[in-house]
Amino acid sequence: MLKYLFRRNEDIPPGTAAVFFGFSSIIWFVVGTGLGSFNAAKLAFPDFVTGSELFSFGHMRQVHVLAVIFGWISMAFAMAMMYITPALGNTKLWSEKLGVWNCFLWNVGLSLGLTLLWFGMTSGREYSDFPWAIDLYIAAFIALPMALNVWMTILKRRTQGIYTTNWFFGAGVFMVTIVFIVGNSPEFFNLTGLSEAYLTWWFAHNVLGLWITPIAAAIAYYTVPKVTGNPLYSHRIGHLHFWSVVVFYSTPAAHHLMSAPLPEWLKSFASVEGVLILVPAIAFVSNLLLTMTGKWHMFVENVEIKYTITGVMLAIPLNMQGGFQQTRAINWYIHGTGWIVAHAHLALLGFSTFLEAAAVYYGLQTILRRKLYSLALANFHFWFLLIGFAIYWISMTIAGLIQGAGKIYEVPYIDVVIAEHPYMIARWIGGTMVFTGNIVWLYNMYMTAKAGTEIPEGRLPHELAYER
Amino acid sequence: MSWKMDKPLYSLTDEEQNSAATKVWEGESLGGIAEDNNRLPSPVVWLLGLTIISAFLVTFPLWGQRPTAEIYEDYLKLMNSPAVQAIDGDRAKMEYIVANGKSSNARIQGQLDRHPLEMDDLRMIEGQVIELQRKGVDLGEYTVVGPHVVLANFEGNWKADGTRERKQPWWDKGYTIDIFYVAYFCIAVLIVIKRLPHYSWQPDHSVAH
Repeated sequence: MLKYLFRRNEDIPPGTAAVFFGFSSIIWFVVGTGLGSFNAAKLAFPDFVTGSELFSFGHMRQVHVLAVIFGWISMAFAMAMMYITPALGNTKLWSEKLGVWNCFLWNVGLSLGLTLLWFGMTSGREYSDFPWAIDLYIAAFIALPMALNVWMTILKRRTQGIYTTNWFFGAGVFMVTIVFIVGNSPEFFNLTGLSEAYLTWWFAHNVLGLWITPIAAAIAYYTVPKVTGNPLYSHRIGHLHFWSVVVFYSTPAAHHLMSAPLPEWLKSFASVEGVLILVPAIAFVSNLLLTMTGKWHMFVENVEIKYTITGVMLAIPLNMQGGFQQTRAINWYIHGTGWIVAHAHLALLGFSTFLEAAAVYYGLQTILRRKLYSLALANFHFWFLLIGFAIYWISMTIAGLIQGAGKIYEVPYIDVVIAEHPYMIARWIGGTMVFTGNIVWLYNMYMTAKAGTEIPEGRLPHELAYER
Repeated sequence: MSWKMDKPLYSLTDEEQNSAATKVWEGESLGGIAEDNNRLPSPVVWLLGLTIISAFLVTFPLWGQRPTAEIYEDYLKLMNSPAVQAIDGDRAKMEYIVANGKSSNARIQGQLDRHPLEMDDLRMIEGQVIELQRKGVDLGEYTVVGPHVVLANFEGNWKADGTRERKQPWWDKGYTIDIFYVAYFCIAVLIVIKRLPHYSWQPDHSVAH
């Protein structure tokens, strides 16, 4: 990467930034899930690694969460944007050099931020844990350069129309920048109490709703038509999806604080909006599944489609849970339990991860012009990811229900801990399977870059997947 | 941007604009991707309607609202009565209170059924409720949050003294905003979609691909 930082933009091969973002994202995925596996082991086996403050759960948990969100998910998004945005505009990325610098500064800033968190320097606010200096760094050197590259590429496109994916990309980088700056304002302006609580969850909700969910969906809008060769089922449903994300995902933040002394009308408003999250979800799932018409065999045969459609289908339980668990009637039972942890993993490790993985698989093969080194390893990765995630999700959902019952019926805390112990072990097994699968993925993509069969001009990687 | 209003549910765009749109639609390859112009399948339209109705129904105050202090007034009166004092054990005392403290007011009885409590809970709120009764305030404006009895966060109708009733009004601001918000959204999306070429037209992808 370093050799490209000081080259002229014209001398940097197209796709370079995307490749660096792609490999960075996989490495951060390995790191993030490794930390997740370590943390899960601490919950399953309380005597595992004790005696050091640095390796205590309180220090390690936030490093895991932010490594996954800012390292894996967001860098995979950046990778997708760096190659999909220009491809859809029949043009080149506005500035490969800016993209390479963006990737370099992203890795440096994230490493620094996570190290600070590890050493205990934190804002203490969940999801926006980074200290304020790192927040400003992220806004200036991570979010804005990425946004600039995406917007300028869309502006300089060689087509008149803008495809659905690029609506989401263009809007997503705008929305995440605003969410990041406003959501971290409690630290900049020393806001406390209810204002701090509300803005903390406004950030946490919107980083999911206006960044992770729409960008992951945008990737699926690209991958499915591109790989299957089918036209997108409906441009019209794309409009419904896009505008309902903007309208209904941006408003329900207060539903994270249903027991807080916020005005009750705000909770009622947010709770209705929370259920209406199902509107974009229905539009998205129906549009993508109908696009698959006549090509369902690819769900079995093709790696990218297998990942994408699994991710699309996981949007169904994700939004059914998300829509209804925030209503007063259900929230009183599951709030503050492992159910929420399971739901968060359904969103980040289920729905979005599968869509991003498809983008990284497809993008790296296309840009490097190399066929996947091993289809068997890719399938191994898929199944370890899916089974590991499923074990995690199911076990944590059950643990959450046990915790909820314990909370409501005032069962002594230690009895609840004992009751959920088997599920903590299952959680660790599931998380470790995901981690193992990711190590295999990293090896597979490294070998693809190094020794993958070259793809001849005019052919696409998925067309050659089964050719020797 | 030419508008046509004679058949708004069919199309809001005139022929000239439609033909310009269809030309671009068919003539451009967006990175090798094409798009069809299918309408929302009718089961999906029904599902969306059901979702919007459900959103209001499942969040209705009935479901999961906190209990008010008002509903426990009779329980608190009974708990120190000689009949209850003579009963052995908290469980039996509570059963007696629930059986004999039924309210003739269906709204209050409904809330009592949804918010059962134990003798220890009653003991925790007893002093706070007596204090509020001494002040002569409306207990319907106070909610029971765990062991605390606190002024509710509702913004209801204005009272004669210039303060607001702390009870959820039928026109609750949150739901009112939601109704307008959803209505505006539906209208805006309808306009966006009706500005596209009608769904009876499907692009010929062989032109650009």
